[in-house]
Amino acid sequence: MTDVMLNAIDIHYSYREGSVVTPVLHGIDLRVRQGEFVVIAGPSGCGKSTLLHVVGLMARPDRAQELTIDGQAALGLSDAARTRLRCRKIGFVFQRFNLLPVISARENINLALRLKGESLDGQAERALDSVGLAELAAKKPGQMSIGQQQRVAIARALACRPPLLLADEPTGNLDSANSLRVLDLLKQLQHQQGQTVVMITHNEMIADCADRVIRMRDGRFED
Amino acid sequence: MRTRSLALANVLHRPLRAGVAVLFVGVLTAQMITALALSHGTLNEVAERFQSVDAELVVLPRQENVIFTAGAAFSDKYIPLIRSVEVGARPAVDHVIPVLFDVAKLGGQQQRLFAVSRRDIPAFLGGRKLVEGRWFDDQGRFEQHVASLSESAGRYDPDRVDPAELARACELVIDTRLARVGGYKPRDEVDVLGRRFTIVGIVEAGVAGRVFCSLAALRHIKMGGADWSSTYFVKLHDSVSAEQTADVLAARLGARVELKSDYSKLLREGFAQVFAYMMGISGLLIFGWVVFVFLIIYTMVLERTREIGILKALGATRFFILRQTAYEALIIAGSGTVLGMALSFAVRWAADRLFPLLTIDLEPRWFALALGIGLVGGVLSAAYPGWRAARCDPAHALSYE
Repeated sequence: MTDVMLNAIDIHYSYREGSVVTPVLHGIDLRVRQGEFVVIAGPSGCGKSTLLHVVGLMARPDRAQELTIDGQAALGLSDAARTRLRCRKIGFVFQRFNLLPVISARENINLALRLKGESLDGQAERALDSVGLAELAAKKPGQMSIGQQQRVAIARALACRPPLLLADEPTGNLDSANSLRVLDLLKQLQHQQGQTVVMITHNEMIADCADRVIRMRDGRFED
Repeated sequence: MRTRSLALANVLHRPLRAGVAVLFVGVLTAQMITALALSHGTLNEVAERFQSVDAELVVLPRQENVIFTAGAAFSDKYIPLIRSVEVGARPAVDHVIPVLFDVAKLGGQQQRLFAVSRRDIPAFLGGRKLVEGRWFDDQGRFEQHVASLSESAGRYDPDRVDPAELARACELVIDTRLARVGGYKPRDEVDVLGRRFTIVGIVEAGVAGRVFCSLAALRHIKMGGADWSSTYFVKLHDSVSAEQTADVLAARLGARVELKSDYSKLLREGFAQVFAYMMGISGLLIFGWVVFVFLIIYTMVLERTREIGILKALGATRFFILRQTAYEALIIAGSGTVLGMALSFAVRWAADRLFPLLTIDLEPRWFALALGIGLVGGVLSAAYPGWRAARCDPAHALSYE
């Protein structure tokens, strides 16, 4: 256990399409303390989502000096070990919600809990209740509004209580009222459960809710 | 939410596609089961009927085989030779049953016609009974007529046979299955060998042949009354070795002598090419459904790339993804197999009514085979799509449109 939740030093990443290599991240350094709410803001295409995928252990950097999650080294791990670490330590909230469409809201949350090896024990219902969607527990994502779907995605993160929550433009598809509600929920997660939140956005106004804002451009953090 | 429930939800997400896939697997499985049940069932039924004859050996011309023999080749002068055979200095043969074969078209298909003497009928019944009417050549009238002509003239002269006596002797006994197929009943007349024959009796199914007639009558019609036979069934004394007697008989007669107990094996050997063809067709059907289920699962994996990315982001292991894909394939293959089994019962029910001469014997081994194929085929068809899904890069999958 350490007070640094995420430590990424000199992260480089490129997209490869055949022989074409497109560098995206150029030596990113990112350190996030436990319980901190960090927003990474920047224009579309600057590499924010890619950075989130790398620190979320869904993509391997081309090279990096260090990458630790809650004190555990993530570089050089096998796929299975990365999956285990991601499962234990990291939660995601995506712009496109990323709920499984074939199962209900409750089942989406229960599935995430099972994958983490946690007991169900009414956690899904409580999480849905906390985002005001208890009555929609049996509905499938396609039967909900976009705002409701995003709240289910947050309820999923709430139920799983990951130490590090990575949010990729979570309000990108929402109107202003729903955006405020989602931001409130993320702040609640941080304050009530002490979760560390890293959120990326291209909306400068949303960035105001963060403890710290990092601006990004062309694959680099701005000073 | 367990893996199986998620797999079921994924399959049911596109009910039409799932339904078509299950139906496809079901129809091909039913076709495989019924093809095997029909080919083996028909041969088993013929073999069992043949086994019901009260004899141990079958003597037939060297160039013939017991499955396809049809013509006459033996003079009855062979009978004393057969009767006199000894094994270990003891008489071996109890009695000899001459049979003349021909073909009669009844019930819409060719049937082997068994011409036997009235006195040998009990040997063919094997405990079964005449359920309607009587046996042909009532009280052996035609046999006696022919015998009296031979005695008076010193030899058989077919021109002296009374046409009225011959017409009366043109009688058939058929079994219950053939009667059901053709809607035949006693006193019905049918054309056989260019003559009008009358069906005079119906015997329980299970006897060696489906159609019987008088040996004397068929010999007169087919061979001008010559005492020739197609085959001899040989009944041995108790405690005599059938194998040894067969060897002695074969050496003495220069004929082919088969053990009746080998008939089933000979039947299978005789139809080996048919079985090979059936197995080949069944193999193709199985290959067809495995490829079909593979395509279905592959399509499902492709269209769910993003969802697989979500699962991976949530911490699903490769094994979890692989297992889920296998469950999906097994749900389709398993449901299709169960449907195929149910359909095979429906096919047998329909065949029993439409084609009662067909024997579709739905043995447990065909169902076990279908289940095994369903299981293995399901796993095989999921192997590549599952492997592909399990190796899918989550970041790439999440950006998949």
